[in-house]
Amino acid sequence: ADTWRYAFEEAMDEVQGQFAQKFKEEVEANSDHTVQLFPFGTLGESTDIMEQAQSGILQFVDQSPGFTGALIPEAQVFFVPYLLPQDEEKLATFFEESKAINELFPPLYEEQGLKLLTMFPEGEVMMTTTEPVKGPDDLNEVKFRVMTNPLLVESYQAFGATPTPLPWGEVYGALQTGIIQGQENPAFFIESTKMYEVTDHITRTGHNNFTTAVMANLDFYEGLSEEEQTVVSDAIDAAFDFIIDYQEGLTEESLEKIKEAKPSMTITTLSEEERQPFMETADEVEQEFLEIGGDQAQEILDQMKADLEAVDAGS
Amino acid sequence: MTAEDDRRSDHEPTTPPPGGAPAADDDIDDSAYVSGLPGVLGVIDVSIARIEAVLLALGVLLMALNTVANVVGRYLLGRSIFFSEELNQALIILITFAGISYAARHGRHIRMSAIFDALPPRLRKPLMIVIAVVTAAAMFLLTWYSIAYVGTQASRGRLLPALQIPVWWIIVWAPLGFFLTGLQYALTAIKNLIHKDIWLSTSTMEGYDDTGKEEV
Amino acid sequence: MSLMIFGTMIVLLLLGFPMMIPLIAGSLIGFVSLFGGFGQLDTMVQQILGGIRPASLIAVPMFIFAADIMTRGQSANRLIDLVMAFVGHLKGGLAVSTATACTLFGAVSGSTQATVVAVGGPLRPRMLKAGYNDSFVLALIVNSSDIAFLIPPSIGMIIYGVVSGTSISELFIAGIGPGVLILIMFSVYSYFYAKRYDVPTEAKSSWSERVGAVRRALWPLGFPVIIVGGIYGGIFSPTEAAAACVLYALILEMVVFREMNVKQLYATAKSTGLITAVVFILVGAGAAFSYVISFAQIPQQVLGAIGIDDMGPYAILFTISIAFFVGCMFVDPIVVILILVPIFAPVVDSAGLDPVLVGTIITLQVAIGSATPPFGCDIFTAIAVFKRPYAEVIRGTPPFIIMLITVAVLLIFFPQIALFLRDLAFAE
Ligand code: NA
Ligand code: NA
Repeated sequence: ADTWRYAFEEAMDEVQGQFAQKFKEEVEANSDHTVQLFPFGTLGESTDIMEQAQSGILQFVDQSPGFTGALIPEAQVFFVPYLLPQDEEKLATFFEESKAINELFPPLYEEQGLKLLTMFPEGEVMMTTTEPVKGPDDLNEVKFRVMTNPLLVESYQAFGATPTPLPWGEVYGALQTGIIQGQENPAFFIESTKMYEVTDHITRTGHNNFTTAVMANLDFYEGLSEEEQTVVSDAIDAAFDFIIDYQEGLTEESLEKIKEAKPSMTITTLSEEERQPFMETADEVEQEFLEIGGDQAQEILDQMKADLEAVDAGS
Repeated sequence: MTAEDDRRSDHEPTTPPPGGAPAADDDIDDSAYVSGLPGVLGVIDVSIARIEAVLLALGVLLMALNTVANVVGRYLLGRSIFFSEELNQALIILITFAGISYAARHGRHIRMSAIFDALPPRLRKPLMIVIAVVTAAAMFLLTWYSIAYVGTQASRGRLLPALQIPVWWIIVWAPLGFFLTGLQYALTAIKNLIHKDIWLSTSTMEGYDDTGKEEV
Repeated sequence: MSLMIFGTMIVLLLLGFPMMIPLIAGSLIGFVSLFGGFGQLDTMVQQILGGIRPASLIAVPMFIFAADIMTRGQSANRLIDLVMAFVGHLKGGLAVSTATACTLFGAVSGSTQATVVAVGGPLRPRMLKAGYNDSFVLALIVNSSDIAFLIPPSIGMIIYGVVSGTSISELFIAGIGPGVLILIMFSVYSYFYAKRYDVPTEAKSSWSERVGAVRRALWPLGFPVIIVGGIYGGIFSPTEAAAACVLYALILEMVVFREMNVKQLYATAKSTGLITAVVFILVGAGAAFSYVISFAQIPQQVLGAIGIDDMGPYAILFTISIAFFVGCMFVDPIVVILILVPIFAPVVDSAGLDPVLVGTIITLQVAIGSATPPFGCDIFTAIAVFKRPYAEVIRGTPPFIIMLITVAVLLIFFPQIALFLRDLAFAE
């Protein structure tokens, strides 16, 4: 019986943690192996745990493709705005059936010594701001915290904001004192990190859905018996189904909790019409992605679009 | 001053004279630095010491400039310097690894010397040699594995997300710093073996600073 | 393995090895025994680099730099003269001012290490000159700086809030009561210390002298404006405020007071770099050591063996206090919070304890641990900055630790110390 180690970027009770716990439960029920879980920060930052998975210290790691961009530039496709649908069912089908995800990405990960096990959505990204947002005009001069990623910077620049990279630990304080006036994240994260305490408005612009990926160290995975590989992939499938169910309603639940904790919070879903000016900026970001997205950027983007059309046609 | 010293001595007899000297007195004069190495090697060593000093000072100045420029950019131009954070990361790594070697040269690494200082000289000297040898060994070990780490980063082609330059460029100082630090401690061990007196570094004799003075 | 690691570390430390060696040796033993050889030591290098890289640490060298410029020039003395003009005639006045300045600066800057340097740097020589004993001065600076953990904004509380899902605003308010209580205790102690050792007071300044002092301090009063106004006013992050102070200090000392030339600027920058390096290599080595503790799941094993699941509320609070206190003596506070909070979360929950109270207790323990030997990060910062021996830096600590622990115990039995303000502010 072996001990497998699995690190992820979020806390135990956030989405990645829930996925990991389900995976652990399944593996331990169906084999004599144990899985140790290492939540956010306990073994270093996102890039650190990724490297540890590459070097085989960790057997499993969860890293969001946006962070993987430094290694696999194509993975940044998930930051192209208005690419993924917001409809949860469509999204789940897309992740299950997409040729880009299931056929084009795995070899890219293998080049980095990683076995891509699955990708799954973590929820619609929303803006939380100190002033209401109805359109790009309202973001004019707003200092908006984004992760240090060129495509996110490009997106928010295109939206008219002043993208301001800040380390995550400083975001709460910076919103409170007013250095920045906005940040973006999925609803569960806005709730769990208490971002709503220091902002007054949540705006659903529908520009993105936060995606994450679970990987195994390639040598480790290939060294497993066929039986063990089946245990792993069954556990991943079970955790995938679990997390899709878990997320059904999670966004609404999180928003309700926020509303309960702070009744004055406004939550606005922009109409298709209101989203139009935001959507018009997507082309710019897409161009940027094609420039910095690596050799297969075009292929991946086209395939993802084709996959999405197929999902649309199927439903 | 005498009144103070009396008062001090009535409850803490071993306290050394107050260290209230202005910081400027502690400045290291690089032109006075004498290498522990002979001949050409010594010349190279003195040059390296100079380079370390310049990197330390420039690193700190650039860090201040970069951070201020980011604020100015945000308010006056409405644009943050999106690579500001990465540049500071690069600088702090540079400062740390240029600095540990520089600190080793001048015996400035933090240590808890209370027990060491209380030992008689015939025990202090061999202990100093052991300390220098073990420290040098640890530094060389880390040199080796940081070369491996830098190599891995280079071969994976990891880029800094904002600057879009290879990560290994900014961490290459780690093996260099560990190596030069290890070298300083190795030289300190040798210096202690062939010279009399006890040397904290190749250029610092025990008793040179007031930490040691109290025991003499 | 844990015993061997901690044993080796303490022995190496006591024998007088450079302090990075005990930390590196502890990590080495850990890596070698965890991975059965030297094969994964590059991850140790990764962790060392990861430890020195966080953007929020940049405030430390920046405040060191600003304080060094101010102390070499005139700014620092003019500010202290101003304070002395008002409190110099009071018994323990300078000590109480120092404690208050450390608390306020620490609260705003968010970095206890920066506080040790920026406030302690200029004030220590003055306290020595006034006749205070150095060990007392060092302990006062280090421990008052740590009150900063409790007063908003507090990175420790933010991390706790995120990991435990507790309201950060409530935590911020709950920290103020214990923070102020500690400051009061330190002030009372300073007063009695000054009395006991008969530290002389200065003649009371006349009002015209005070006006003169204010006038002389007009330019340097820009520093508190930049720091307090800049940070709370939402213009700067703490790191940026530090860099702004560097710029302002340079303008004052090089242009206004003409106290510093380019050569001295170079020497100051170099000295800042040197202090930064000797502190940061310890932060990095400490991060590698934390990794070993975390990877080997040592806290889980120890706490599992103690049996936290069957404890009553008081026992749980005491166990939490001790665990965080011990943890922070060896490991960076943030990492301790990240590792331990999830372990305690289920017990705290099932015992029905108020997570805001638990967070306040944890933050206080983190503050105490950071000022406590052997590896409290503020201790080695003080050693590096003040160039005093380790033993002397920690000699004056015990009375302060006793006061802090008293508050910690009070907090467990009288949670209202923390929760009073919270309940007032968040009353339905
Ligand atoms: Na604070
Ligand atoms: Na510590």
